[in-house]
Amino acid sequence: MSEENQPSSAPSNTEPVATRSTVPMWIVVVTLVLLFLGFRYFDGHSGWFDARIYAPYTSAEQLDAYQPRSGAAAELAQGKKVFDTVCGICHGVDGMGKPGTAPPLAGSEWVIAGGIHRLTEIPLAGLNGPIKVKGQPMTFASGMVPIGAALSDADLAAVLTYIRSSWGNKAGEITADDVKTIRAALGAPSQPMTSEQLMKMPE
Amino acid sequence: MKNGFAVFFAVFVALGGSWLGLVVGPTLQLGTATLDTVLNSSDTWPQQRTGEATLGLQIYRANGCAACHTEQVRQDGVQAEVSLTGLGKSKPEDFKAFVQSLFILPELEKVTNDLTAFLKDWNGELPKTFLTTDDLEAANTMADRLKAAGLKSETLIVATGADIAHGWGIRRSVAADYLYDVPVQLGSLRVGPDLAAVGVRDPLASWQLLHLYAPGAVVKNSAMPSFKFLFEVSKIGAAPSPDALNLPKEFAPPAGCEVVPKPEAKELVAYLLSLRADAPLYEAPFTPAITKP
Repeated sequence: MSEENQPSSAPSNTEPVATRSTVPMWIVVVTLVLLFLGFRYFDGHSGWFDARIYAPYTSAEQLDAYQPRSGAAAELAQGKKVFDTVCGICHGVDGMGKPGTAPPLAGSEWVIAGGIHRLTEIPLAGLNGPIKVKGQPMTFASGMVPIGAALSDADLAAVLTYIRSSWGNKAGEITADDVKTIRAALGAPSQPMTSEQLMKMPE
Repeated sequence: MKNGFAVFFAVFVALGGSWLGLVVGPTLQLGTATLDTVLNSSDTWPQQRTGEATLGLQIYRANGCAACHTEQVRQDGVQAEVSLTGLGKSKPEDFKAFVQSLFILPELEKVTNDLTAFLKDWNGELPKTFLTTDDLEAANTMADRLKAAGLKSETLIVATGADIAHGWGIRRSVAADYLYDVPVQLGSLRVGPDLAAVGVRDPLASWQLLHLYAPGAVVKNSAMPSFKFLFEVSKIGAAPSPDALNLPKEFAPPAGCEVVPKPEAKELVAYLLSLRADAPLYEAPFTPAITKP
């Protein structure tokens, strides 16, 4: 119906035939370059599956970096961890103490005291002999070993802060620097202290 | 049949490929998932549902709730917020001078403008968030410097995104959240809000029951249909039922009658209240709001 369908060149009797020819080199090169770029993009944008990695994170290293590393909540959690494994065995994970083994920490005037020196010295030096807690004189079959001396300043500070702010206790924080200072001042006592000796120390 | 084998083979490959990709692949990737651990805690995640809530999941399914509600919070990014909590022995002026002295650090180059704006507006109140940035390196540098100078600060990790800005959650949803869901009902259409953390957002069972019976009574212009058939309107007996809904006048039943939830309604509400994706996990970290024990 139009001239477009008519052969434009001179009529020829030969049928068109598809012939073989090699792929031009530039197509091969461009394809390879595109593949390379595509895979780089795929790789760089979390193309590989990891059950622990979700957007917007792209790698385990990045995710590790974003784990909350500070804050009161993290410190309290660390304190609870140390307390439950180290102190809770005798003092009870509920802080209520165990009769004949260790005095309660919940509501104990030793724990919630305004001054932090005596409380910090107890785990560093250990404690022997009778002690008065919440007005009750108490005696125990064996004393407390200097179990806190082996803890790092940060861990001891975390656990002391934890017992001062748990089970209804509402005393202030003890920092790693406080512990460091008190530890240095105390040195390494050869004998566990008694409560009378503690009372003579500054609060 | 001409090419019978070829047709069979093509169909086999098409169906087998889909099965491998949609069933076998995900099962290999996530099928072995076990309980997760809440960050900085020994608690496991997710928490096992009560029996009532587990039955409620089937009520949720039977009523097609997933047709209009999703259970997946998306997250676009993450930010670090450095908050000043204590000045130690220094004065606000010292702190300002100190922050200004840090501007030369190359890590802080991108946040210098924010810090300048903060210094201009701050009048000494504490605690104060003074740096909000998606540049974690800058936030950490800042926190380290503050610590070295004897100032107290906290670095909060905060998830961001449109869903989180809506208040639909505090972090993104991850596979572990659905460990006890059979079937998982992610949903794909949001006629109503996302429900991944509805138990945190609207924790009152009485509110949820009221909302199921008469959505308009608690949410103005609610598009949700009433689920009246999950409730019973009955004559008040010798004493009113303790479960009876406390309805506003225009939705109240005729005088002498009360609206009491059937067990299905209570189960559905128990399920809704069990949807509380609010625990920080390794794969979706954030700093939880501080709740002192």
